[in-house]
Amino acid sequence: MATSEPRVVGKSLPRMDGAGKVTGTAVYAADFALPGMLVGKVFRSTEPHARIVRLDTARARALPGVRAVMTAADVPDVRYGGALKDETVFARGRVRYVGQPVAAVAATTREAAEAALAAIEVVYAPLPAVLDLDAALAPGAPLIHEEWASYTAIPILHRDGNVCNRARIVVGDVERGFEEADRIFEHRFRTGMVHQGYTEPRAAVAAWDSSGQVTVWSNTQLPFEVQNTLAEILQMAPSKIRVVVPGIGGGFGGKLRVGVEHFAAFLARATGRPVKVITTSEEELTAAYPRQGTVVELKTGVTKDGRITAKAGRIWFDTGAFAGSGPGVASVATLVLAGPYKIPNLHLEGFAVYTNKTNCGSFRAPSGPQANFAVESQIDIIADALGLDPLELRLKNIVREGDEGPTGQVLNAVGLEECLRKAAAAIAWNDRRPARWRGKGLACGWWTTTGGSSGVYVKINPDGTVALNTGAAEIGTAALTGAAQVLAEELGVDLADINVVSADTFSTPFDFGAQGSRTAFAVGNACRAAVDDLKRRVFALAAAQLGVEPEACRLADKHVLADGKRISLADLARLSQQTGGGLIAQGTFIAPPTAYDSKRVDGHVYPAFHSPSFHAHAVDLSIDPETGDVTIHKYVVAQDVGFAMNPTYIEGQIEGGVAQGLGQALSEEIVYENGRVLNPNLTDYKMPTTLDMPRVETILVQHPSLVGPYGAKGVGEPPNIEPPAAVANAVASATALRLTSLPITAEHIALALRDAGT
Amino acid sequence: MSFEYHEPTSLAEAVALGARFGDDGRFLAGGTDLIIQMHRGKLRPRHVVSLHRVSGLDAIDANGAVRLGALVTHRALERFPAFQGRLRALVEGAEVVGGHQVRNVGTVGGNIVNASPAADVVPVLLTLDASVTCLGPGGERTLRLEDFLIGSGRTARRPDELLTSVRFAGLAPRSATAFLKAGRRRAMEISVVCVAGRLTLDASGERCLEARIALGAVAPRTLRAHEAERFLEQRALTAETLREAARLATAACQPISDVRASARYRRLLVETLVPRVLARCVERVREQAS
Amino acid sequence: MSKLALTLTINGERHEILTEPHRTLLDVLRTDLGLTGTKENCLEAECGVCTVLLDGAAVNACILLAAQCQGRSVLTIEGLARDGELHPLQRAFIDHGAVQCGYCIPGMILSAQAYLDEHPSPTEDDVRAALAGNLCRCTGYQKIAEAVLAVARDRAAGR
Repeated sequence: MATSEPRVVGKSLPRMDGAGKVTGTAVYAADFALPGMLVGKVFRSTEPHARIVRLDTARARALPGVRAVMTAADVPDVRYGGALKDETVFARGRVRYVGQPVAAVAATTREAAEAALAAIEVVYAPLPAVLDLDAALAPGAPLIHEEWASYTAIPILHRDGNVCNRARIVVGDVERGFEEADRIFEHRFRTGMVHQGYTEPRAAVAAWDSSGQVTVWSNTQLPFEVQNTLAEILQMAPSKIRVVVPGIGGGFGGKLRVGVEHFAAFLARATGRPVKVITTSEEELTAAYPRQGTVVELKTGVTKDGRITAKAGRIWFDTGAFAGSGPGVASVATLVLAGPYKIPNLHLEGFAVYTNKTNCGSFRAPSGPQANFAVESQIDIIADALGLDPLELRLKNIVREGDEGPTGQVLNAVGLEECLRKAAAAIAWNDRRPARWRGKGLACGWWTTTGGSSGVYVKINPDGTVALNTGAAEIGTAALTGAAQVLAEELGVDLADINVVSADTFSTPFDFGAQGSRTAFAVGNACRAAVDDLKRRVFALAAAQLGVEPEACRLADKHVLADGKRISLADLARLSQQTGGGLIAQGTFIAPPTAYDSKRVDGHVYPAFHSPSFHAHAVDLSIDPETGDVTIHKYVVAQDVGFAMNPTYIEGQIEGGVAQGLGQALSEEIVYENGRVLNPNLTDYKMPTTLDMPRVETILVQHPSLVGPYGAKGVGEPPNIEPPAAVANAVASATALRLTSLPITAEHIALALRDAGT
Repeated sequence: MSFEYHEPTSLAEAVALGARFGDDGRFLAGGTDLIIQMHRGKLRPRHVVSLHRVSGLDAIDANGAVRLGALVTHRALERFPAFQGRLRALVEGAEVVGGHQVRNVGTVGGNIVNASPAADVVPVLLTLDASVTCLGPGGERTLRLEDFLIGSGRTARRPDELLTSVRFAGLAPRSATAFLKAGRRRAMEISVVCVAGRLTLDASGERCLEARIALGAVAPRTLRAHEAERFLEQRALTAETLREAARLATAACQPISDVRASARYRRLLVETLVPRVLARCVERVREQAS
Repeated sequence: MSKLALTLTINGERHEILTEPHRTLLDVLRTDLGLTGTKENCLEAECGVCTVLLDGAAVNACILLAAQCQGRSVLTIEGLARDGELHPLQRAFIDHGAVQCGYCIPGMILSAQAYLDEHPSPTEDDVRAALAGNLCRCTGYQKIAEAVLAVARDRAAGR
């Protein structure tokens, strides 16, 4: 690590890929095209649950311009998936949600492909559909997957019929904890299904070459995961599958798993032509990987003076017809249910439950908003009931430096108290109800910095510039700008000297991918490791040239300096090219495992939060008591980011995360009725516009983590967690109404006020 | 979606094409609704007759009476200087339609013929007692807008007719208009409910001489609240009378529950927005006087 | 179906285009002319990523038939920078951190450009209202509004 004042890290430098994006020259997967490319389209189920009695594609095949029509009969009979392999490329004999792929077509034009879809004949025999969590969990409920027990799954999972995982944390003795309590509070909460809302649809172009190798240009966040999944689906060696990410128009977790890449690959192989598949808004809102709707039950015991003695909680995730991210999300949720609180007795369970809906996935801080909404709403309810200030109640129970997390991990760099106090002060918390129908709300939380490994290659070019080669994709967060800032700092060069090559499974080193708030953290650390490697080579070469000892060398200002002598990196790179094969190095990083008490967890695939971050949100809002409209006057986020690698883009993450969070809090929901989505378009799926978003004030708190580069922690997901709870608490403060279901729409508020007779 | 595209340059030519294609044809104004319906496969015309080369259809005449050509865009309404005063509701209705990209293209005529019960400018026009003129092979006819709108997506226009203009009389002194809309977001919303109002007050500024109230998205077509209007006329406008008018207006609604809102909430919004719109009208009349 | 011969001026350059009547301006720009800076998403005028300027006015290219643009002038994001110099809005979006994934940005910049051409001294609320037809899912709009306001201030100051 550099000892002098940082030159590059910690600075609000402009992102490296900005010019291409503002001039329209940046190529995204949706823009990608090859000569002779065909248009691929997916034929999808119109039934929530049915047997396929007849599927006839003959008429579609015969249409002009149609080059291929494929069904389950044309692809290997493979079940794939993450922790649980339950998914198939096309429905086999049975459809399990409206939107499930049944067939796919490739044609010369979009119109021809659409005509082919219209010409596919299918007859369904409807089966009883399981339309919500209650129905899925009812005794004798129809099984979504009758053969569930035969599916391959990681052994940790606890599965039973429609429950595809049950994760549990048990600490102490929750019953005894309740006995110690003066008051016990029991509440039930509900949250709706929401979509990531990336502006670029999922898109992929696939092309095969004569050696039997396929290249897929995709906007996936996880090219290596998609490579492996395609290998499984296509029954090929991963080394024959090249996944390249040209550019991504937003992901937020919705582009982690294979989405359209497999259709493009199969259709391209069948036609011998490149094929592009791009989703429509309707497909996005009926057949993507949205955030699960949930039901949460919380039972919390407290003493009169506000000490939490025990908490029992259960959260059920409506994960849809396939497990998707459900088993993992249900695990993570239990850590969120515990909250950033010190509670001696815990019994927390997360359930991922099959229903006849779309396959849910991961959305920025998966499980965070749902579980935090319940936890932080209940904290306010308890505070009100005990006559305590909600801030004081939190301060009485939050974790602090050196405390244990729910599964026994030792917490360090805990900036939570500072976050809470600063966020509260920023909205003048001492005046919580400044006017009639106006109120303020607080919510706090904690989150992980996902581990997984990252590798980089670094090369010094003969002109002194530096190539950073990483398998991570830049999904918009500027995380790779952040990682490059680390590299520039450590190498003594400017950010402008660095060029990034990224996300190509053939030419870049492995990366666990742009997920879990890990990219700048992990790639940045891999860069530090690469610089260590590079320094050895550079210093050896420089020492020989300058006639000094390698130990005397240091890097600064694009030179190696030693004993008053200097030689430029450019000169050294040229020299090395002539004599030593060039200045190249590699760096790898994997987050060290976080120690936890394995006896406390069961069915759990995510038992500890790595390098956890802590945060508090505060909001000041008014309600129109007649229409229910919410006006946000001020929104404040205080987030412990460990070290602010690039403050501008961290603010950007926070502002954008709040926007998505406010969407879930106030306006967004994918609404199902009888197994069908009622609002499969952007007219009725209501993401916040410019006029719906308040200004967000960001307060960066910096308690350096032990692992992250310069002490950084994961930044991207957390700001999405607290908005629903903060809003619900402020609405309660403004109206004296406690709304326990998301989204909290104006209608919801107005009708509740009317019912309450206020 | 595939069709023949036609670009007549005169009204006569447009009407002749309309007559020739009948139900197989569609007139294209701004296209902000038509193209989407065609993309969704809900409309499949074999002939699209674009109107944008027909001259004169985009004119606004506002010398006393007002005549809006069918191709007047929402943007043109928003910016027309004479509408910034008593006819302010026209601006208020126009400026909440879609984003500015849609308002630059979408037209008043298209909005009317489209006959969405949630259209934002239509209730304003209803409060202005607007009439529409249609031109067909048999000549021109003029209908009251209220009679022209039949149901959701249905109008009295015959397939071979072209709506050419909307007209309404200038407002009497001591008149004002207002428009309010409720939706889940502050922009890019299809109205959950919208309310337009027009009031003419007596010289004292207390008593109502003439009242018009129109309601969007609460029935299969945009509604006039006749009973509420009659109730207000000749009455002093107190908080109480406004509330009673709201009650009567609410009683006139037949809202549905859908993914955008429940019928109950729509009624509640009518009850809330009607007095607000009327109060705003009163305020505006009084501002003119002072 | 017969094709239409259209003449469009795109980014100052005349283009002769032969196309079917049903094709949208967006389709022609992206597929026929390779101008993929104009983005594709909802295709229903809800998201604004396809915003271009038609005779100076912002429009959604996704619901505009190419035929409707006959003889008219279209400006896309590719036509905004002059002589290799970024347009002030492009510069400001980068400098203010207003760009994340960037997919909405071409449309956002063109909406802002059309607005600023007619409204030289807007407030933040004005700017937000002008951009309400352009959804962004990354930024929360704050830095976008700041970038546009900064350009307005610079223009007012004659910079």
